[in-house]
Amino acid sequence: MTSVGDSIHPYVVTTTVENWNRFAAINDEFIPHSMDDQAAISEGFPSAFGMGNIQWAYLHNMLRTFAGVNGTIMKLEIQFRRPNTKGQTLTAQGKITAVTDGVISLDIWTQDQEGNQLAHGSAVVRPSTWVPA
Amino acid sequence: MPDTYMVPEVLAAIGRECSRSTSFPISTSDIRKWALAVYWPETPPQAFIDAEYAPEDFDPFAWGPAKYESLLPEDDGSVIYRHGINQKALGIPEWEFMVGVNGGMDCKYGVRMHAGDVITDVKSVGQWSERQGKTGLMLMTRVVSVWTNQRGEEVKRTINTGISY
Repeated sequence: MTSVGDSIHPYVVTTTVENWNRFAAINDEFIPHSMDDQAAISEGFPSAFGMGNIQWAYLHNMLRTFAGVNGTIMKLEIQFRRPNTKGQTLTAQGKITAVTDGVISLDIWTQDQEGNQLAHGSAVVRPSTWVPA
Repeated sequence: MPDTYMVPEVLAAIGRECSRSTSFPISTSDIRKWALAVYWPETPPQAFIDAEYAPEDFDPFAWGPAKYESLLPEDDGSVIYRHGINQKALGIPEWEFMVGVNGGMDCKYGVRMHAGDVITDVKSVGQWSERQGKTGLMLMTRVVSVWTNQRGEEVKRTINTGISY
């Protein structure tokens, strides 16, 4: 059963330029500050940092696992708060805030290995396996 | 740096449609490669390897559209604005910013994307805002992007927020 307050299974990934280069290659997103430490440092960041779009994808990966292959991701919004810098272990997480007729609302976020939130937002999904309580 | 970015030209641009892009037909290989990249180093779900449908975050415009047209009379459409809008053609002052980053996204999904689909993206100007940051006044630019498929079904409606300072 799925209840308000439950956490869903997190999606965990260690993020380096290997992840970002792969994403750049499929998304044509070759941004210097995601490729080159010096470019990021010149903009005031501590190292190269990942694209917002790949964190967006990781949150979808987490929600897809929760909702099931035939489930539906209906809505998702996030705001980026801190850069996802090189070598961080990024964890995408979600906590259920509402359950209504098979539609589940969640708080979602990404955080680094020290618990600092990198992005925060909300999502609405309709899992394929939902069974009325 | 100006005292405010909320000048009349900025406020007058809200709601204007800026561009229409049409994708190439989505291929099974596009779907498979996208899934492999966003799940790496894990293996994607088999549904994406089999390209039954595309991940919701898939972008069929990643390597350029099949067709692009500007909807602004002041823009000849020779430069493709994939994520943003032609602010110069909207009459927005050409402020010089040191950094431009992705501030966030807000997306409502409709029907899924499948191999063979052709997606149309119409971009328009959303709300603007400004905020004082550590490095000075920041401008938040919101671009509304509506994707439909070849049957006119809405695939997704996204508001992208860009932060410039």
